[in-house]
Amino acid sequence: MSRAREDILGKLEAAGGRRPGAPPAPIPPTARIAPRQPAGPETELTQLLTEIGRLNGVTRRLANREALAASLAELVRAEGVKRATCWTTPDLEAWGVAATLQRLGVEIVPGHADKQRVASCELGVTGVDAALPETGTLVLMSSPERPRVASLLPRVHLALLRPVVLRPDLHQVFAETREAGYTVLISGPSRTADIELTLTLGVHGPKSLYVWVMDAV
Amino acid sequence: MNQLPTAINFRSNTRQVPPQMSAAVQKATAKFLGNRAALVDALGNDYWQVLRQAGHDIRLHAITHIAHYLEQAEQAVTRAGGQVHWARDAEEARRILLDIAARHRVKLAVKGKSMATEEIGLNHALQAAGIRVLETDLGEYIVQLKGVGPAHIVVPAFHLSKEEIAALFRDKLGVEAPAEAEKLTQIARMKLREEFLAAEMGISGGNFLVAETGTIVTVTNEGNGRMCTTVPPVHVAVVGIDKVVPDWESLTVLLKLLARSATGQKLSCYTQFISGPPRSAAETGPAEMHLILLDNGRTRILQTPECRETLLCIRCGACLNICPVYNHVGGYAYGYPISGPTGVIFASQILGPKIAGALPFASTLCGACNDICPVKIPITRILLHLRRRVVEGDETEPATAPASLRLGARVGALALGSTGLYRLGSRLLRRMQAPFVSVGWMERVPAPLNRWTMSRPFPAFAADFRQWWRGRHLKARHE
Repeated sequence: MSRAREDILGKLEAAGGRRPGAPPAPIPPTARIAPRQPAGPETELTQLLTEIGRLNGVTRRLANREALAASLAELVRAEGVKRATCWTTPDLEAWGVAATLQRLGVEIVPGHADKQRVASCELGVTGVDAALPETGTLVLMSSPERPRVASLLPRVHLALLRPVVLRPDLHQVFAETREAGYTVLISGPSRTADIELTLTLGVHGPKSLYVWVMDAV
Repeated sequence: MNQLPTAINFRSNTRQVPPQMSAAVQKATAKFLGNRAALVDALGNDYWQVLRQAGHDIRLHAITHIAHYLEQAEQAVTRAGGQVHWARDAEEARRILLDIAARHRVKLAVKGKSMATEEIGLNHALQAAGIRVLETDLGEYIVQLKGVGPAHIVVPAFHLSKEEIAALFRDKLGVEAPAEAEKLTQIARMKLREEFLAAEMGISGGNFLVAETGTIVTVTNEGNGRMCTTVPPVHVAVVGIDKVVPDWESLTVLLKLLARSATGQKLSCYTQFISGPPRSAAETGPAEMHLILLDNGRTRILQTPECRETLLCIRCGACLNICPVYNHVGGYAYGYPISGPTGVIFASQILGPKIAGALPFASTLCGACNDICPVKIPITRILLHLRRRVVEGDETEPATAPASLRLGARVGALALGSTGLYRLGSRLLRRMQAPFVSVGWMERVPAPLNRWTMSRPFPAFAADFRQWWRGRHLKARHE
């Protein structure tokens, strides 16, 4: 196997006329672009929510904990939620998401439980680590408190977002995620146009995406 | 694609194209091109051209210093706890993957859409080893059930009607399937959901490989790519060595170009960044991660300076969508999983002229592909070099064209290069055509030239220009 490595690298070095181990030329400045200039915070947030709406996500702004509890009750009823899995980050704990759901009679399945059980959840609740207004994109990272499956296996994904996580462009997001082990950018619910180009939501990932802004909570 | 191609006969393949193909192709390509144009307009064409130049420059820099960046990526993946394997050819890549599968006693593998695994004929090898392998992209799943390869790199099953797909589902899955996109998608979701949860191995490709952190980037819409790389306990990514980019800043350019050019989305639904397996046992995700770096002829492409830019491709499919030839024949005629202009220049070199010598001629050289390519690959320039390679041979390959074609090309070059021969030839041709001409056109000519007149008449050779000019001049002086 290391023979293969030496063979390939040897041929590449011969093709590039490069001395083994020599550093590459600097990246040309024309290969770089400046990040997008953000508008004011309120405009940016409005743009984010508009873009998410265009991608068939459903957005809502919540003023306080009571509004969150009422919205959760509404969601549980509307989507027929019996089981849910949640991130356990400090934000979600402080907002009391899991506790509220339990009070509504929803069984909470830990993200690290057997994958069959997580897959049987109707709802996955996550936070958002960063967001991009231009593309309506949510950035989610991975950690023991942030199970990757919560935004993937359940039929409904609810993402709770604080306005401070908005970033102007990919440049700023990547500055925060480049050392991370895993990051996913989510732009709208799972989609396909593979059958006669008809847009269909919810192929393998969530069919519904709710994004709630925790304004002053 | 189940098996790797033997000799590709583009001309006879085009005769097998079903009549509904070109209408289906044009419906899809028109939609993608329309979406793309609207987004390019919104950005402004000037800025789009800046982005394209940046995309070209970063990809060219990456493949120019490819050995350096691959070593850097290898170290970073290893540091992150992933295992890196190098595969010189398709055979070696398949063996590495089969070894990993055997070690984990894999019986079922799920696979995201990946042109690299199509290129190495992976499904066939896994099945031969008694491993079930399922395509999980909806379009790929459908064409796999049908037992054929992808007809387009972005929407593989776009040529099948919902009625055909419903019949296929009833036949192969034994379920009641109404001919509605929504219902059919739900059936595929339910069927594949069980398989994702049961699979012991997930296989993916990679849209990019970031050297500085060893990060595999995948871009998908359905979520199957996320499933394959998240749910099974082992993840294997098969990535062409050409996919390497220096750093995350390169991605700020390339991600803006990719989805806009492919489907006319600003970003695809899911863009994943995977640097090794999960860092703690308390995280979800596959415990083991392998990266197979695939050469399979890419080093040879880099050895020919005229063709090097073939490897800039980010597989968006925009050149398929704009190509007049692709729009008439669809993907299958090319006899290779990657079709259209980028497929032609890639496959011609990967497979060599003996197998794919017909492909460089499957083009009108109109150049629309050059203009739409988000990383500015000079596709027609490369095509011309590959045609020359077939006819004359170059430093990497001997000539493979039939002697008659080579002779014809040489005679043509000689005649067009000398004034005397040209004039003699044009006089002779005008004499010789006389029996075939009727009202300025030739409807039928003798073999082998009849290949042209089989599909359309050929205009008769007009009067010799010099003679005509002299005559006109004399006439003018008389008046």
